Amino acid sequence: MPQPAAGATVDDGLDELRAEAMEWGRKPRGLGSLYVTEHMVRAMRAYGWTIIVGALGQPVLYLLGLAVGLAALIDAPIDVGGEQVPYLVFVAPALLMTSAIAVASEEFTYPVMAGFKWRRYFYGFNASPLSSGQIANGVVAGAGARMGVTVVLYFVFIVLFFAWLQPDATRPGTAWMAIFIGLLAGLSFGIPLMAYAASIEDDKGQFALVQRFIFMPMFLFSGTFYPLATLPLWLQWIGWISPLWHATELGRVVTYGQPTPPIMIVVHVVYLLTLAIGGLVIGRRLFEKRLAK
Amino acid sequence: MSAATTTDAPTRVGGVRALWAGNPQSVVQRGLIAARSSSWIVVLSGFFEPVFYLASMGIGLGSIIGDVQTSSGVEVSYAAFIAPALLAVSAMNGAIYDSTWNVFFKLNYGKLYEGMLATSLGPLDVALGEILYALLRGLLYATGFMIIMQILGLNLAWTAILAIPAVLLIAFGFASLGMAVTSYMKTFQHMDWINFVLLPMFLFSATLYPISVYPEWIQHIIMAFPLWHGVELVRGLTTGILSPEMWWHVVYFVVMIAIGLVFTTKRLRALFLD
Repeated sequence: MPQPAAGATVDDGLDELRAEAMEWGRKPRGLGSLYVTEHMVRAMRAYGWTIIVGALGQPVLYLLGLAVGLAALIDAPIDVGGEQVPYLVFVAPALLMTSAIAVASEEFTYPVMAGFKWRRYFYGFNASPLSSGQIANGVVAGAGARMGVTVVLYFVFIVLFFAWLQPDATRPGTAWMAIFIGLLAGLSFGIPLMAYAASIEDDKGQFALVQRFIFMPMFLFSGTFYPLATLPLWLQWIGWISPLWHATELGRVVTYGQPTPPIMIVVHVVYLLTLAIGGLVIGRRLFEKRLAK
Repeated sequence: MSAATTTDAPTRVGGVRALWAGNPQSVVQRGLIAARSSSWIVVLSGFFEPVFYLASMGIGLGSIIGDVQTSSGVEVSYAAFIAPALLAVSAMNGAIYDSTWNVFFKLNYGKLYEGMLATSLGPLDVALGEILYALLRGLLYATGFMIIMQILGLNLAWTAILAIPAVLLIAFGFASLGMAVTSYMKTFQHMDWINFVLLPMFLFSATLYPISVYPEWIQHIIMAFPLWHGVELVRGLTTGILSPEMWWHVVYFVVMIAIGLVFTTKRLRALFLD
């Protein structure tokens, strides 16, 4: 890079320019995460209809197809901790949590890979005053926004559905908290996934493997369709380590009051928070390392 | 190769000769060679999907539900009820995946078919070759799953062995139609609509519970969709409860294959040759 001749007047001019640049950089530096969030959300408009139809269609299909159909076969109520629950009421919170995690598995994989590798927009952000940590935050918040839409729509649908089928089964006082548990569920699964995505240099189908060997078993063995205790012990551990099971248990507490010892509620919340926050700490470090390359 | 093109070109005037060089095996061979350089774990992972479903639903729901009555009125264990359905579903998913995502990429990004059709191959060679390649994969998955069913004692009759050709028939039907539909798609977002068709078919087609739980008019709608025919056919074979009506399921798929092939060949021809 050619250096200007060292002279007093040029130095002054440079200092002034630097001060001006710092001044202009201050605002984006302060609100950086939000700017990245805005970008991520705007980029989602390219497939906005897919998001809306998916968010509306999935609960309709799953609740009608799986829950109502199976419920016809499972005529006896589900027995959890000595309390009897109609099958639909038992399944609904689990499906809500699954929907948030499904969005997470989409938004925290290929878009992250695209930002680093294919479309490289993270490098573009990083060339501006935005820091790498803010870029990671922005990705999380953007995906969180989409999860929010999905979870709220799902929740509204479940409320309408129950108003029609099982009016007395749920607790309107606390059921709304399922929305926030759903968000937490999505983030606790998605943020560590984002950290993993940031560490991938070459796409060799890793995300397809995550889908098949992590998401799918988690969905199937987390006590989604029947109490976890129904499974033999050698399969139950899948539930214990899966964020889906912890979130579903919390969801069952708030939607219909599944009897749960308070210590377990603490365990569920702490486990989910640990995954989300730990993932963010590691993810931010990986973003920083990769963007500095 | 180029010499063959010039000698063949004048004969491409109409009729079957214009569409068919009798060489789909070279397309299959190309697929096998290409598969060698891609990740084999990803290919293998497709086998686990129905296995996970069988383990989860068969063990967990099975202990809640107990025995289930099939459409022919026989009681079988829940795992034996869903296993053939999962086999049919994985045949559908595999065939659709291969004939949509893969074909979409080769069509729009890889520009593979333009290259193939510039040789002596005709559109029918390409369509059949791609479908046969997809079927090889389906055969692998189906055989693996049948072995697991046998070990778990879910094959209730010797006729279960016939489920393998039945699965190939089902996969053929879905693949030939899927490829034709794919040729209309222009962006990745369009591909999502495939799931909007597959998911309800999977959930409603007598897969996880008998369709007798529905009112009659819904049952008739479900019976119009191909997956239901596939599920009933495979279930009849693995449980050994056969009836002459099962031939209608076979006819359904034969017609589906014929329509799909004609449709796909026409589309490939319209896209590349006309």
